[in-house]
Amino acid sequence: MKRREFLKNLGIVTGAGAVTLTISGIPIKAFSRPFMNIKSTNGKILVLIQLKGGNDGLNTIIPYEDSVYYNKRPVIGIPKANVVQLNSLTGMNPSLQPLKQLFDDGKFTVIQNVGYQNPNRSHFRATDIWLSASDSNQYIYDGWVGRYLLKTYPDFPNIPPPHPMAIQIGSVQSGVFDSTEGGLAVSFDNPDNFYTLVNGINADTDPPPATIAGDELKFLKEVAALSIQYASVIKQKADLGNPVASYTAGGTFGSQLKIIADLILGGLETPVYLATLEGFDTHSNQNGTNSHPLLLTRLAESIKAFQSDLEKYGLADKVVILTFSEFGRRVNENASAGTDHGTAAPMFLIGKNVNGGVFGNNPSLTDLDSNGDIKYIFDFRQVYATMLKDHFGMSATEVDQVLLKRFETLALIKTTSDVKYDFNIPTDFTLKQNYPNPFNPTTRIEYSLPQSTDVRLKVYDTLGRNVATIVDAFQAAGSYTVNFNGSAYASGTYLYSLEAGSEKIVKKMILVK
Amino acid sequence: MGTSNYLKKISVWDADAARHILSRSLFGFTKDDVTFALTKTLDDFVDNYLLQDLTEPAAPQYNGADWVTLPNNVTNQTSYTNWFRSMVYWWYNLMITQGYSLREKMVLFLHNHFVSEYNTVQIPQLMYIQNKLFRQYAFGNFIDLTKKVTIDSAMLIYLNGNVSTGSAPNENYARELQELFTLGIGNYTEDDIKNMALALTGWQVNGGSLTSFFTQSRWANKSKTIYGKTGNYTYDQAVDLIFSEKTIPASEFLCRKLYKEFAYYEPNTDYITQLAAVMRNNNFNLKPVLSTMLKSEYFHSVDIRGARIKPPVEFLLSSLKQLSITYSNNDLPNYIRTTADSLQQSLFNPPDVRGWEGQRKWISTITYPNRNVYTDALVNGKTYNSINYKMNVLAYARSYPNSENAVQFVEDVTKQLIQFPLSQARKDSLLSTMLDGTVVGNWTTYSPGADTRLQKLFKALMRLPEFQLS
Repeated sequence: MKRREFLKNLGIVTGAGAVTLTISGIPIKAFSRPFMNIKSTNGKILVLIQLKGGNDGLNTIIPYEDSVYYNKRPVIGIPKANVVQLNSLTGMNPSLQPLKQLFDDGKFTVIQNVGYQNPNRSHFRATDIWLSASDSNQYIYDGWVGRYLLKTYPDFPNIPPPHPMAIQIGSVQSGVFDSTEGGLAVSFDNPDNFYTLVNGINADTDPPPATIAGDELKFLKEVAALSIQYASVIKQKADLGNPVASYTAGGTFGSQLKIIADLILGGLETPVYLATLEGFDTHSNQNGTNSHPLLLTRLAESIKAFQSDLEKYGLADKVVILTFSEFGRRVNENASAGTDHGTAAPMFLIGKNVNGGVFGNNPSLTDLDSNGDIKYIFDFRQVYATMLKDHFGMSATEVDQVLLKRFETLALIKTTSDVKYDFNIPTDFTLKQNYPNPFNPTTRIEYSLPQSTDVRLKVYDTLGRNVATIVDAFQAAGSYTVNFNGSAYASGTYLYSLEAGSEKIVKKMILVK
Repeated sequence: MGTSNYLKKISVWDADAARHILSRSLFGFTKDDVTFALTKTLDDFVDNYLLQDLTEPAAPQYNGADWVTLPNNVTNQTSYTNWFRSMVYWWYNLMITQGYSLREKMVLFLHNHFVSEYNTVQIPQLMYIQNKLFRQYAFGNFIDLTKKVTIDSAMLIYLNGNVSTGSAPNENYARELQELFTLGIGNYTEDDIKNMALALTGWQVNGGSLTSFFTQSRWANKSKTIYGKTGNYTYDQAVDLIFSEKTIPASEFLCRKLYKEFAYYEPNTDYITQLAAVMRNNNFNLKPVLSTMLKSEYFHSVDIRGARIKPPVEFLLSSLKQLSITYSNNDLPNYIRTTADSLQQSLFNPPDVRGWEGQRKWISTITYPNRNVYTDALVNGKTYNSINYKMNVLAYARSYPNSENAVQFVEDVTKQLIQFPLSQARKDSLLSTMLDGTVVGNWTTYSPGADTRLQKLFKALMRLPEFQLS
C-alpha cells in the first residue's frame, strides 16, 4: 500500500461526522467508544544506535585466530597484537577498548552474524529493510518501532500519552517510527532550543481537504502538533536530569547520548530513543585516523559515559542499548584500503540486564555466498523479537503482529518483565486557576477527570456569550493541560467553564492587552 | 484506448496555472511575474522562457578575485572555506536572479541526482566544475551528461573511481551509477556491478590542472559482461549499454525522479510510463520531456497543485523574493546558509549519495519551528552591519490594488503567497489577525498601527502549514 493510501484511510481526514477539536493545539477526534485502560509500557527503555553507511563487522569484532581473515585483509586487517581480546577466538577493534570493562562485567553482548536471507547491498534498500523489519523482497511502509508503539499506545492519537512515545536526536525523522498514524517520534537536537522554538506556535482545528495536497497539509499539522505537545515536558525533564559523565570523547555523537541520558535521568517515560552515528561507508582508507577507528572510539566512549550515568543513578536495569547498521562489508578488502558493501555483521547489546558475552561463533570466512560475503546465522528480527518480548514484555502474539511473522527469540536478556497498566488516575474533579493570570495572549488551564466522560471547556464573556470552545470531546480519566489563546479577543474579564457529565466548575480569568 | 492521456496539454492558461508553473519552476515569484507570464501563450512561456538556453553565468569570486581555476594545493587550501561559501552565495544569487528560467531548478535537481558531497571531495574548485557541468546539461542530453559525470573529478573522488583499478576495482561508483543515477534497484545484478566497475577503471584526478585523466595501465583491459553483452568495454561504451540495453527502465527511472521533483513525490505510474515514452522518442534529451511535463493537464490538476513541500533552499529564497527583500552583500546570504543547514539542506552537501529525500523528510518537529523563526525574522527584520533586512509591509500591501479593502486584500495576498487552496476559516482567521480588534470598515493601510497589524498578518500567514506547500 502506498503512503498516500494509508493516509486516506485515516479516519481523521474524512471520518464521517468526526469533529476535529483542539487540546493544547492537538487535534482530538471526538469519539464515542468506551474508554479503555491506557496501556503503558513496563518502564523499560530501548536506545537504538544506528551506524549509518554499513559498519565493517569484521574490523569491529575480529576473528583474530582465523588466518583467512588476515589473508583476505592484508592491508586493513587488525593485527592480533592490537586486538582487545574477548575470548580465545574473538576480539575487538582497539578503538572499542572503553567497552572492555562493560564486557568483563557481563553488561555487553556481541551478537554475531546478524542478517537476513537474500541480503540487499544498497544502502537505502537495506536500511529500509532493517527499519521496517521486512523480508528482502517485501516492501513495507511503516517501521517496526512505529508498529510497536501503536500496539503500546492503542488510543493514540485520540489520547496522546503524556510523554513522547519516541525521541530521535536529529532533524530528519527516521522511517523506523513511521506508522499508520504518521511518524511517532519527536525529533530535535537540543531540548532547550526545541522548547524556545516551539513556544508560541499555534496548531489549529481546520480539517484538511481530502486531496493529495490535503494529505500533505495533514502531515504538516501532525508534526506541528507533536512538537507543541511535547516541547515543555521534554525541557522539564531535561532540566531535572543531571548527567555527570564526560561525553566529550564521543564528539557530537556523545552529545546525542548525553541528551538521551539527561532525559532518562530526568524521568521522561519515553520507551524508545534513536541516536545516529554516520560515516561507516568506508570504501577507502578505512583505517585512516579520521575513519573507522575514530567512529568506533566515539561509539565506545559515548556508550561508556552513558552507562556510567545510568549506573550512578540506579537506572541501568531499565535501559538497553542496541546498535545496528544496514549491512556489514565484504570479507576481501578492496584496492583502496577499504571495503565494499557486504552482508551479515555483529550487533551490540549493552545494559545491566543483558546476558553479557559473545553470542554466537565467529563468522566462517570460507563458507561465503556467491558474492564473497558472510552468511547470516541470526535474523535481525530475532533480535527485535527479543527486545519486544523479553525487554518490553510484549506477548508472543503481539510480537508476531509487530514483526509480521513469528521469529524465535534469543537468550539475550536476563530477566523479563510484563507490561503493567497505568491506573494513576486523579481522585477529584478539578479545574485550576489559569496561569498566568492576567494573561496576554495565552494562558494555561489545567483540569482533572476522575472518570472518563464527555468534557466541555468553554469560554464566556461577561455577557454570558460563548466566545470560544477549547475542548468538546469524550476524554479519558486523567489530568489535562490546555492553552487558551486570547489574541483574537478584546481585553477584559472572561469566564471559563468546565462541564463534565453532571459536574460543572466556573472560574474567572482576565485578558489584558 | 482505456488509459487516459496524462500528457494532454492543459486547455486553460490562467493566473492559477501561471502561479503553479512559476512556483514549481522558479525560486519564488511576484505578482508581476504572474502578469508577465500571462502576456505570453503557454507554449511561448514554457519553451522560450522557462526552457530557454541561457548563457553561462560568470564564475563565483571571493572578495572580487577569481579562484575556480586555481590549483589544489596546501596554500590554497587555507582559503577553501571562504571560496566554498562564496560559491554557495553565488548559487543563491543565481537562483534568485535568473529570471523566467527553469535552469537553476534543474541544476539543483541534477546536483541531487548525481550527488557529490563537498565534505568528502573537499576541493571547492571541483564542486564548481561539477556544478557548471550540470548547468550546461540542465536541458541537454542525459546520456552525454551521464558519461561526463562518470569521469567528473569531484565524482571520481566522491565515489572512489579515482582509486579503482583493473586489478582491484572499487565497486562504489558502479553500484550507485546503476542504483541511483540511471536504473534503480532490480534492473541489474551484482555481477553487472562488478563488470561495470571494471569498465570504469583507469580514471584519476589531477589536482593541479583540476581535470580527470585516463591511464591505460590502470584500466581493466579485458572482457566484461554487462546485461548479458560481452566486450572489452570502456567507460563510455559501458554507459551506452545502460541506455541501449535497459532503455525502458532507464527512461522510467529518470522520469520518475523528474516527476517526484517537479510534480509530486508519490509517483503516478501511468503518467511516468507516458512521459518515459516521450523521453525515449527524444533519445534522452531533457528539454522536450520537461516541456511536455510542464504543459500537461495532470501536472496542473488539483491533485498536484499545492502538494509539494518546499525544499529548504527554495523556501528560504522564495520567501525573500515573494516579499521583495533584496540584499547587496553576504550578510543575509550567510544567515540563509546557516538557516538552510538547520533546515537540513546544505548546498553541495547532501546527506548521502542518494541525496535529499525531500517532501516529508524536510519536516520534523524541529525543522518546522525553525522555518517559522525564519519567516518571523523577515517580517521583524534582521540587522547586520547597520543594514536592516526587513519586509516593508506597507509598501508591499499597497502594491495590491485592493490594499484598502481588508477582505479582498486578504483574499488576494493569500492567493499570491500560498499555492494551497486556503479554507474560508483560514482566511477569516488571517483577516481577524490583521484587523486585530478593529472592524473591516475601518481598515486602511494609512491608519496608525497599520504596519504592526500587517506584520502580524504576514507572520501568521507564513507560519501556516499551507505556506510550506507549493
